[in-house]
Amino acid sequence: MSAVIEVRVPDLGNFNEVAVVEVLVKPGDAVEVDTSLVTLETEKATMDVPSTAAGVVESVRVKAGDKVSAGSLVVTLRGEAPAAAGADSSAAAVASSAPAAATAPAAPVSIDVVVPDLGNFAEVSVIDVMAKLGDTVEVDTPLATLETEKATMDVPSTVAGVVEAVHIQKGGKVSSGAKVVTVRGVVPPVAASAAAAATATVAPPRTSGASASAAPPATASSAGAAVGSAQLPPINEAGFSKAHAGPSVRKLARELGVDLSRVKGSGQKGRITHEDVKAWVKQVLTGGGAAGAGAALPQVPAVDFAKFGPVEVKPLGRIQKISGPRLHAAWVNLPHVTQFDEADITDLEIERAKLKDAAAAQGVKLTPLAFVIRAVVKALQEYPVFNASLHPDGQSVVMKQYMHIGFAADTPNGLLVPVIHDADRKDIYDIARALADLSDRARKGTLKGTEMQGGCFTVSSLGGIGGTAFTPIINAPEVAILGVSRTQTKPVWQGGAFVPRQMLPLSLSYDHRLIDGAAGARFAVYLSKMLADPQALVEAVP
Amino acid sequence: MSAQNTGASGVVAGPKPDRTVPLVVLGAGPGGYTAAFRAADLGMQVTLVERWESLGGVCLNVGCIPSKALLHAAKVIDEAQSMAAHGVSFGEPQVDIDKLRGWKGSVVRRLTGGLAQLAKQRKVEVVRGTARFAGPHVLEVTAPDGGTQLLGFEQIIIAAGSEPVKLPFMPVDPRVIDSTGALELQGVPQRLLVIGGGIIGLEMACVYEALGAKVSVIELSPQLMPGADPDLVRPLEKRLKKRYEQILLGAKVVKGEALPEGIRISYEADGQAKQDVFDRVLVAVGRVPNGRLINAAAAGLNVNERGFIPVDKQMRTNVPHIFAIGDIVGNPMLAHKATHEAKVAAENAAGHKASFDARVIPSVAYTDPEVAWVGLTETQAKADGVAIDKAVFPWAASGRSLSLGRDEGFTKLIVDKTSNRIVGGGIVGPNAGELIAEIALAIELGADAVDVGLTIHPHPTLSESVGMAAEALEGTLTDLYLPKKKG
Repeated sequence: MSAVIEVRVPDLGNFNEVAVVEVLVKPGDAVEVDTSLVTLETEKATMDVPSTAAGVVESVRVKAGDKVSAGSLVVTLRGEAPAAAGADSSAAAVASSAPAAATAPAAPVSIDVVVPDLGNFAEVSVIDVMAKLGDTVEVDTPLATLETEKATMDVPSTVAGVVEAVHIQKGGKVSSGAKVVTVRGVVPPVAASAAAAATATVAPPRTSGASASAAPPATASSAGAAVGSAQLPPINEAGFSKAHAGPSVRKLARELGVDLSRVKGSGQKGRITHEDVKAWVKQVLTGGGAAGAGAALPQVPAVDFAKFGPVEVKPLGRIQKISGPRLHAAWVNLPHVTQFDEADITDLEIERAKLKDAAAAQGVKLTPLAFVIRAVVKALQEYPVFNASLHPDGQSVVMKQYMHIGFAADTPNGLLVPVIHDADRKDIYDIARALADLSDRARKGTLKGTEMQGGCFTVSSLGGIGGTAFTPIINAPEVAILGVSRTQTKPVWQGGAFVPRQMLPLSLSYDHRLIDGAAGARFAVYLSKMLADPQALVEAVP
Repeated sequence: MSAQNTGASGVVAGPKPDRTVPLVVLGAGPGGYTAAFRAADLGMQVTLVERWESLGGVCLNVGCIPSKALLHAAKVIDEAQSMAAHGVSFGEPQVDIDKLRGWKGSVVRRLTGGLAQLAKQRKVEVVRGTARFAGPHVLEVTAPDGGTQLLGFEQIIIAAGSEPVKLPFMPVDPRVIDSTGALELQGVPQRLLVIGGGIIGLEMACVYEALGAKVSVIELSPQLMPGADPDLVRPLEKRLKKRYEQILLGAKVVKGEALPEGIRISYEADGQAKQDVFDRVLVAVGRVPNGRLINAAAAGLNVNERGFIPVDKQMRTNVPHIFAIGDIVGNPMLAHKATHEAKVAAENAAGHKASFDARVIPSVAYTDPEVAWVGLTETQAKADGVAIDKAVFPWAASGRSLSLGRDEGFTKLIVDKTSNRIVGGGIVGPNAGELIAEIALAIELGADAVDVGLTIHPHPTLSESVGMAAEALEGTLTDLYLPKKKG
């Protein structure tokens, strides 16, 4: 059966508006399932969008330089629709075209885009309508321009798709919630919830049976937040109502949009004063957030190097441009401590040699790094505080009940950190397989965005190159990173004599805000102990 | 996702208004006039729509104020009587009911007249009429003469209040009255039945008993004044039991019939069906919000199944340019709650950012003795699993109370065990309603019991009892001997 098939951008993880760097097909090209159609570049990696069907390219809907998001149409094919709807490839095609409906993939539906909350303005003039019947719009494509007394604003689309109906006209008046257009398309998950938040301003009814003695229960409505400032985090109403602050301080906090549950009181018994509220706002405005780092760091003086000899200026690599600020942020925000240790891996190497060939026969390359990651999993299970992150409010710790381990991979394009998901449920062979697969695809640049997200702890192994120790920078908001250097055979005092042992140098950097020195040392010692006990590492995972 | 297009749509805006104003306040009760005046003070042009001739709503016209005037009369009668036992006799009181009603009316007129003056000074336009929504930005206002106008508005604050609940099984008869009827003071019946042992019912019972009626009270729940801690109600109940014909708790009225000799009431008490005939019956079983009377659907407003209009902390309804305050948004239906909500709504309408953040709303029954409570009750603390400490100062140890000839009152403070802050309190006794404000202030300011105990209270006053209850919590009280607490 010949049919027109649409191939769309698959789920990109957290990325939106990703650049198309290259278009690999043109109309008339014959493509197979998995033929690369276009190359996209996210902040972290480049990736190809594979065809989800075989056929002949009828039209290409993107060009180099375009920005696309999950669900954007890439090409249309004329060809065989993948048979049997249950087959993998078609399921993937459907799933990728409708990321919002992961459990129940649905055909495109008609969705109304409404005027967002305009604050106190009602009956606002429509000064321009950009959307026309049949237009293809993306999320955030401006549909119409409104003019309030104070400013003009565009109404962005909350869905991607084709405009089915336009409900407003130039010169008309609209208010919050009025329909702008109807779009036939799929709802991206984030936009859907945002749109829902924007339109669902219905407050839950008060429990009117409450006794007269209590203040009316807080009605957690989205309206207040929607009207309020977009910069500040939403107010934790339960915490706000318990904060030790008098009525006038509460009033000031409301005016400024300050969540009193985040403000530390300087008054007697921790009472929050007007000054505390103002100081908190000042801190947020200067970029301190709850953590309170200064923005005004002294700058390294600029030097005209050409004065001292010939130079050549080259642009930074893409990955360097992205990872630089992140490494800097981690360096200035996290108080790093690095704990050094050495693990005796003599027995582990003997064991590994025994298992290596059998594993290789099954296509698994049993590397020392696989054992290190397996040992890290065991240490994280023993010391869960290393599998945690500080909550942005600075008041709590997020303990993760999953264990995704990242590892630094040196690629021709720069440093990447693929993530082995659910490493605690993988045995040594699974880990080795995942390592090989992810490293391979990291070098080829075909990692998916989701395969570089969600890490809990990172391992950076420079053992293949050399070195005795180094101080790795934590991949924030993770709280620790393990650096691994080159194994050396060293004399170790055992049983009254020096014996040659293979020692693996470990460098564990941790976030001292969450982890104290004793815990850091214990983690390193436990890790060394695990690495000295290969039997425990090769056991099957329950 | 199917986007709900509620009444906020500006595309279908209802009929074209005759004129459009920036802000309408619907209803001129304590919530409404406060909202109107606050918005005017913030520079807004305000139109206040009210169906009755005088401003002030239920509170001023047929609620708080006239009832307090009559309660004062009742108190004077009672005190004169009780002084006879202590050597000062006035003889039987001569009650000129018309003159008393006239005085009550003059108090009301003085206050409502004052409101009209305040409105004029602020250039608040008052439109007389009954209003219904005709669209999200239009009200249809029907004047008393039947003429209608379509009043357009940019924003509106709904303060349309509540009215007494009617019992469907009660006959329509001049001898069956609600609180408004009771305040009209149309003679004093021989035997009066008050259905509902809440604040309103007991206040009116108090007035009519002092004026000479034999009073019966029938209440569905097992305690008078449901919502207050039982210990707080006990001194009142003890006093009323001595004076009233009967107080029936856990009893249910099932039928009322108008007979020539009176209103025959069928009720169930102690599992038995009973009947009795009364000269007059006051129905005081609660109030119902007026959310269903304003054609809210035309504005796209949500009204819940009980007739309340849900709002957020900014007093905004589901339609962003429409606010609602007071009885119509939820319990407790109290004027002092409405006035605070009114300021929040007015400030938001004027573009400020305000939120209803009051921690507590005090409740007062102006019975004799008065009963007042604020914040967390013991009952609520138990239900919520909040660890509390409490202290009670009995007024039998208060010189001021004894010198008033009364000894049944007490003051109770409740503190949070973890923070040591005062989180609730209750007072029963003469003037309890005046005294409760100090505890409300302590809660709002986050005071510990020790802060209140170290505040010097004037002697001899009833207010001392608050300080002494705080001292009892701290273990520094010397006016009583309290065994030392463990730990």
